[in-house]
Amino acid sequence: MCACKISAQTLISGVVTDDRGPLVGANVFIVGTIDGALSDSTGHFSFHTDKTGEMALRASFVGYEDFTLTATSHSNINIRMHERPTSIDEVVVAASNYSFGKSDNFKTMDALDVVLAGNSCGDIVAALQTLPGTQKVGEDNKLYVRGGESDECQTFVNGMHVLEPYTANVNNNGSRGRFSPFLFKGINFSLGGYNGEYGQALSAVLPMETKDVAESDKLGVSASLVDWNAGGTKSFENSSLSFNADYTSLGLYNAIFPDRCSWTRPYGKLSGEAQYKAELSQTSVAKAYVGYDFTTVGQQIDERALSLNEHNIYANATFKSNIGKGCNIFMGIANSSIISNIDDALTAGDHYHNRRNEIHIKAELRKLFSPALKMSVGAEEYIRNSTKRYGQSCYELQYNLTAAHIDAQIRIAPKLFLTLATRAENTSYDHRWLLMPRTTLSFVHSKQFQISAMIGRYSQTAADDYIAQSDYRLSQNTANHAIISLQYSHNKTLLRIEPYYKKYSRLPLLVDNTYENNGYGTSHGIDFFAENHSLTENLITTLSYSFNQSKRLYLDYDAPRTPSYASRHNVRMTAKYSLGKIIFGLADSFATGRQTATRTTPNYNSLDANITMLVNPKIIVYSSISNILGRTNIYGYDTGNASVTSTRDRFFYIGIFVSLINNKAYDISNF
Amino acid sequence: MTSQISKLVFIAFFAMCAISISAQQPQMQALIGQSLSKLQQPSPENFLNCVAELKRVDAMFPDSIQPKYQMALQSLNFAIMNPAAEPTEALLADAEQTINKMESMTADQSDLCTLRGYLYMVRIVQNPAQNGRLYYLDVMQNFEKAIRLNPNNIVAKQLQQKFFEGMKQASE
Repeated sequence: MCACKISAQTLISGVVTDDRGPLVGANVFIVGTIDGALSDSTGHFSFHTDKTGEMALRASFVGYEDFTLTATSHSNINIRMHERPTSIDEVVVAASNYSFGKSDNFKTMDALDVVLAGNSCGDIVAALQTLPGTQKVGEDNKLYVRGGESDECQTFVNGMHVLEPYTANVNNNGSRGRFSPFLFKGINFSLGGYNGEYGQALSAVLPMETKDVAESDKLGVSASLVDWNAGGTKSFENSSLSFNADYTSLGLYNAIFPDRCSWTRPYGKLSGEAQYKAELSQTSVAKAYVGYDFTTVGQQIDERALSLNEHNIYANATFKSNIGKGCNIFMGIANSSIISNIDDALTAGDHYHNRRNEIHIKAELRKLFSPALKMSVGAEEYIRNSTKRYGQSCYELQYNLTAAHIDAQIRIAPKLFLTLATRAENTSYDHRWLLMPRTTLSFVHSKQFQISAMIGRYSQTAADDYIAQSDYRLSQNTANHAIISLQYSHNKTLLRIEPYYKKYSRLPLLVDNTYENNGYGTSHGIDFFAENHSLTENLITTLSYSFNQSKRLYLDYDAPRTPSYASRHNVRMTAKYSLGKIIFGLADSFATGRQTATRTTPNYNSLDANITMLVNPKIIVYSSISNILGRTNIYGYDTGNASVTSTRDRFFYIGIFVSLINNKAYDISNF
Repeated sequence: MTSQISKLVFIAFFAMCAISISAQQPQMQALIGQSLSKLQQPSPENFLNCVAELKRVDAMFPDSIQPKYQMALQSLNFAIMNPAAEPTEALLADAEQTINKMESMTADQSDLCTLRGYLYMVRIVQNPAQNGRLYYLDVMQNFEKAIRLNPNNIVAKQLQQKFFEGMKQASE
């Protein structure tokens, strides 16, 4: 019976190949039926079907174009398949960009990696300083990227600008990033060549995306010698509300480990933040965030009893929706307010007051037209005002900045992608439109290898002090970027090399006691990054090297010279080793000396270590020590030729994180 | 964890078939049932053939979600039981693409979350030391959401339970 049945069927057979040879596991079948087979290890396939005569045969395989043919003969069918070009929506161009969180659809690093990086103590900014392209500037610990000033790197939360992303502190005491890494599901750090969406940043942007709606309630506390924190989340059906309160004080720490400073009031910061996230529909998400910091510190410097108080409020609200047909809309509004008061700022008895405010409004429309074309258009408005009072130097500044951009990402060949972008900006005080074309050409051969070339123009308004002092005559500073990026990954090793060249123009320069746009400069160099996961099991090592040659004539310089924050060679090595529930981290940072107006500083070196213990699913203990070797690093020289150093050579941290309500182990995020 | 999950998966997918097939077109249901019946003998080869057949059914009914759901689910079932097998990476890539496609077709959100959570769970099984911490929360959140959206989602409930048990064993 069976024999009769088989003999009445048609045998279909053949071979499936691609450009490289036989294709294993291709699904070959007759269209409209489930009659078919998988190709074997030699690419051959064969199956029986009830169909007779001419039939439509299809072959499919992941990553390949479907192949359909009308088969007239039933044996020796040759099927040659071709790789499917990557859709513009799937391609990930890594050039000049480091992603924490989800990358290439799967995570490469998460918030805990940020915390465990070197001696970051949970500071995003400190963690990013292990990457190439950043400079070690120990006196303020801010991000200096590829020969640019710290304010040339701008921070965005959910696409919205943050006017002041650092905590306040007195000179030679490092600042920290004001946002906890646990707020975010993704952190992208672009060191240049970014697309048209981002503006007002001459060197780099740091966009961060907050987490989505929480699915369960959380409550947690943490404590250390310097900070105490409590936070939690209440989840609702389609939304969640999170809060966090933190008090930081160096009083206890200073008493146990005295430093070189005379403190009249130890550094203290009281901060609180809340976030509401709601899934309005299956395709729409709304998020609102508000954070407030109050910082206070007092320091005795010779005859001065310096006293600093700062209020920093940041709030944003965003709405994102997929409106169908490949269209996404984004709308957002953000407000940043910083109020600083300093007594005995420069001389005994003086008083410095500064208030800065920025409202940022933004809308964007993104559409995927086809697998080969994606476009986005957007418009935004910055409304800025600031007041400063310091002796005779007083001003009230107010201006608007209007911007629009259009970006197109085009697949011009199966592995070749082109991004064309233009951003236009106009400031209300000079009424001139600045047009900034940007383009990136990428050859994405595979997930293992890609090479990109990017070129573009970027702008940023000068600091408020300079605009006010120039009586609104300073137009925007500009920088042209040219970057080549090559990335290769193989066998758990990632290598990246990025040479770059930046040309600055229209920088503020002091001429006859007023600032004019006559400043200029260049910065060029090469960044190298290697990450390895295979030296031994559970060990991750990284090596970053940056060479930078930077020269500029700006501010009060009388001739072009290397800025005092820039060092020519920066090397960072990190190692992270997991031994069961204990994770060890070691990091070494080295930078060659910096040129000041009078002389060059000695080389910088700091060896840092940390250890994390997952005591139980609800308790994590973290401890770190910076500068184990106790080297006194010199960052510069003051006007009296005295060395500028940190107030202490080493910093020791130990903290405990406890989850009180949380069904997830080892989750120290309360948000 | 793999063996426990494999037991669960069989219970889960047969339950799932019973629930969802009754609501679909008769021819498609019959073909899906025919393909899934191969898994009564769950050898790797039968799994691969089952997934291949489900793809053919999907090609016949491109606007239907059910073949896509089963394709993704069976690909993940294969991957979790054969985490280091040669076809696993391709099947996972295919499953992820299928989930993305389902997302654009207004598929049941609870099912989508189940598949997403399961995908992350497979990644953990593939490399617990490296991926456990990275994807742990994603697994948890997806299963929690799947159950919140559909408290009767048996697959999500049982996968979540097995995941808890697996993690508990791993942390002991």
